Amino acid sequence: MKPNVPEKNGLSRRTFLKYTGTIVFAMGSSGYMLDECRAKEDGSKIAVSDGYLVVDIEKCQGCISCMLACSLVHEGVLSPSFSRIQILQDSFGKFPDDLTIEQCRQCETPACVEACPENALTANAEFGHVRMVDKEKCTGCGSCFNACPYTPTRLLVMEDETFNRESKSIKCDLCANAPHHWDEKGGGPDGKQACVEVCPVGAIAFTRKLPVQEGKSGYKVNLRDENWVRLGYRKS
Amino acid sequence: MNGYAGNILSIHLGTRSITTIPTKKYEQWVGGHGMGSALFFDMVKDKTIDGFNPENVITLMSSPLCGTLVPSGAARTEIQGIGVQSLPIGWFTRSNFGGRFSAMLKYAGWDGIAIQGQADSRVWIDIRNHEVRIRECRELDLWGTDTWECQKIIWKDVAGDGAYGDWVKVNKKGDMTTQRPAVLAIGPAGENLSRMACLIHDAGNGAGQGGFGAVFGKKGLKAISVIGTGSVKVNDPKALMKSRLWLKDQYQFDLKNLKFNTFVMGFQSPPVPMALYRYGKPRIGQRPQACVGCTAGCRGRYEDGIGNEAICFTSVFYYLGKTLLIQRQAADLINRYGLNAAEMFVGELYLKRLQARGIIGKGKEIDCPLAYEQYGELSFAEQLVKAISFRNDGKGNPHPFGDILAEGFVRAAEKWGRLEGENSDLKTGLLQFPHWGLPRHKLERSQLDWGYGTILGDRDINEHCFDMLRAFPTYYKQSGKPLPPSQDVVQIITDKMEPFQGDMKMLDFSTENMYSEHMIKLVSWHRYYTRFWKQSVQLCDFRWPDFLNLYGPGQAGATGIAEQRFFNDVTGKNFSFLDGINLGKKIWNLDNAIWALQGRHRDMVRFADYIYTRPGTTPSGYPEYMPGIKNGKWDYVITSGRHFNPDRFEDFKTRFYRFQGWDENTGCPTRKTLESMGLDNVADALETNERI
Repeated sequence: MKPNVPEKNGLSRRTFLKYTGTIVFAMGSSGYMLDECRAKEDGSKIAVSDGYLVVDIEKCQGCISCMLACSLVHEGVLSPSFSRIQILQDSFGKFPDDLTIEQCRQCETPACVEACPENALTANAEFGHVRMVDKEKCTGCGSCFNACPYTPTRLLVMEDETFNRESKSIKCDLCANAPHHWDEKGGGPDGKQACVEVCPVGAIAFTRKLPVQEGKSGYKVNLRDENWVRLGYRKS
Repeated sequence: MNGYAGNILSIHLGTRSITTIPTKKYEQWVGGHGMGSALFFDMVKDKTIDGFNPENVITLMSSPLCGTLVPSGAARTEIQGIGVQSLPIGWFTRSNFGGRFSAMLKYAGWDGIAIQGQADSRVWIDIRNHEVRIRECRELDLWGTDTWECQKIIWKDVAGDGAYGDWVKVNKKGDMTTQRPAVLAIGPAGENLSRMACLIHDAGNGAGQGGFGAVFGKKGLKAISVIGTGSVKVNDPKALMKSRLWLKDQYQFDLKNLKFNTFVMGFQSPPVPMALYRYGKPRIGQRPQACVGCTAGCRGRYEDGIGNEAICFTSVFYYLGKTLLIQRQAADLINRYGLNAAEMFVGELYLKRLQARGIIGKGKEIDCPLAYEQYGELSFAEQLVKAISFRNDGKGNPHPFGDILAEGFVRAAEKWGRLEGENSDLKTGLLQFPHWGLPRHKLERSQLDWGYGTILGDRDINEHCFDMLRAFPTYYKQSGKPLPPSQDVVQIITDKMEPFQGDMKMLDFSTENMYSEHMIKLVSWHRYYTRFWKQSVQLCDFRWPDFLNLYGPGQAGATGIAEQRFFNDVTGKNFSFLDGINLGKKIWNLDNAIWALQGRHRDMVRFADYIYTRPGTTPSGYPEYMPGIKNGKWDYVITSGRHFNPDRFEDFKTRFYRFQGWDENTGCPTRKTLESMGLDNVADALETNERI
């Protein structure tokens, strides 16, 4: 499986306005919003996800175990390029700006879902409305990749060996559809997420609470406790 | 071949040829050191060449576990070749570093690199998946940069000016990653062929021993950069994930139930920097920083960016720096200029002793341009580092002092006439370089596994397998903390030391047991375990073996269970722990055969004179304690303050060689022993060269 990402052409004016509207809406609706739905352009509803990943970028030790576990349970191989969560670090940088973690936000209003022309990317009701790709439907067109407003883009389009090397989109599904999941009960909001489980320092957590959508603070949180402070690190 | 990329990259800098070697050809050696030794044996026909000879081959090897989720076993790179640091011969030797390099190499599709020849201009190697180029340093003005500047320039060249963290296309094909290339670079010390020059990757991953920085410099090789977007295939993904979580659940530190809040060996250690600054850890904002796949980072990154990833010897290089800030800045200096921290630390203290005795200084017996009136200030450390790196006075002016020191402290002492007569600095112990012209580390007369392993090998072994047997008793005795019964501790460990399990006297460090058959077994097991599980499979020295573990059942660690479990999850082989020990023995034999071909004889295998006459003491003056039998009972006994007896050590060597099945008169492996391991061709080479 090889990453094969289409050119990202930047946001069109129409798309930009759409996101601007999304952000304004979200700012006015902070807090816990489980089961609330958002309207798609065609009038259908997108339910909010039952689960989210939040991270502590000051606690992360940069071992990239989460990235490797992600590709392992999904693709059966180990590769930072195939990971749905990305650790970015600068060995020469100054703490805490030397490292960040970028994970899929399971957005309340998911641009990737809205952009998919094939309805291959949906809030999957079977798995707690996690935003998931149906590879049977996905044509690998890259619309979702282009629509994701974050850096780095949280989706990838890759050649998929299980589909005769056709291009398919991949994204975080909270391990709901992970063919190599180690646990009999599997993943998803009601199961175990590989990145959360494998992290040695507890820098990634699962929550059912919808994070604040605007900015980074809802997803980049403080997971440090007194024991972390005992090791010589700061709590806040 | 699960776990493998499938090919080894072979680069001849002289002819500028880039070829591949199928990894399959060397699969029997598994990876890392074993594979590197076998490659070296095949590629270097004349083993007697000097390390600076263009035909010297340097191998950088990963293992099938590199780039995977194996805890603290996915990130090391083993580097081998003829070194230029040791005496009387620059032995075929090894070094090793962590970080991201070997993992990235695997993602790029390579199990290792073999470098031969000497470039006719200054070059660097640019690896982007299977696209490999030998590029001129002048394109990017790389020659003359320090190791950090060099890496940053290459990062920018490979990753471009895109937003930090965005996907980067690494080649025209469009393969992508968010990661920066892993770069291994030399600094000015390597460019100017200092025999203590090292290789640096990221801020603080150093391959220090052997002087491989100088070998790179002689080859005209400034850096190797690798970026990969591929993957590592494993035999059983579910099993690997289960194993990883099993270790986390059973053996890894628990933040909700901390047993230690400082660095210790093994998986019980929490993630804290192993920084040994004289004034303690910096009390500023910081994070732990880990190699790929590690459970507990042992380095730190700091809010002022000073001392990033500096640990161990690097953090004590300027031990008498006046402030913590100066000590941290000095650590950065040796990382940036690319100098071996161990030799710089021990060597700097030697110079200070000479200066205190009025021997060196401006216009003194040894003309020294160093500004000792600024000793303790950063300016002094900077002048010393620059003097050695540029072979001058440390201020940019020609001076023999730096030129002589760049050859290493023992060669410098010899040049200054300090190794002559009864007051030789290696007889008095003023120059603490006890083996092979290399600096002291652990007290070899006390920590016998370390001392014997080093002198029977080729370098400071720097293998901490049994270090906790010295560290805990020594520190706990000082602080009055209660220790567990030594018999219980020894039992847990020796039960895991297959095939010698059950022989508890292997860990009797009392003076009465210094030369025993049990000690021979300890040293042998240590050589075999480390040659395979640590240096070929490349499990990290700080976490493996996991002998004692307060989280483990019965306070026993994961070793003996975990090594083969992870190895088999990845490779699909049916390897046992003992299979690994036996392959380690085979690799140990191959290494010894190479040393014999280089000219080794048992008569060379001896410590510096002071080790036989002077009691071993610690810098702090406190005694060291280790397990031992005292008055017929297990206890913790004082092991410092003693020295080796030369005759008994010679007898120990004879019995050690006999135990290995080697020639007792020469210390060389025999044909019979080599053939019993399938090393017939190695025996043939020894015979052809009249070594057997």
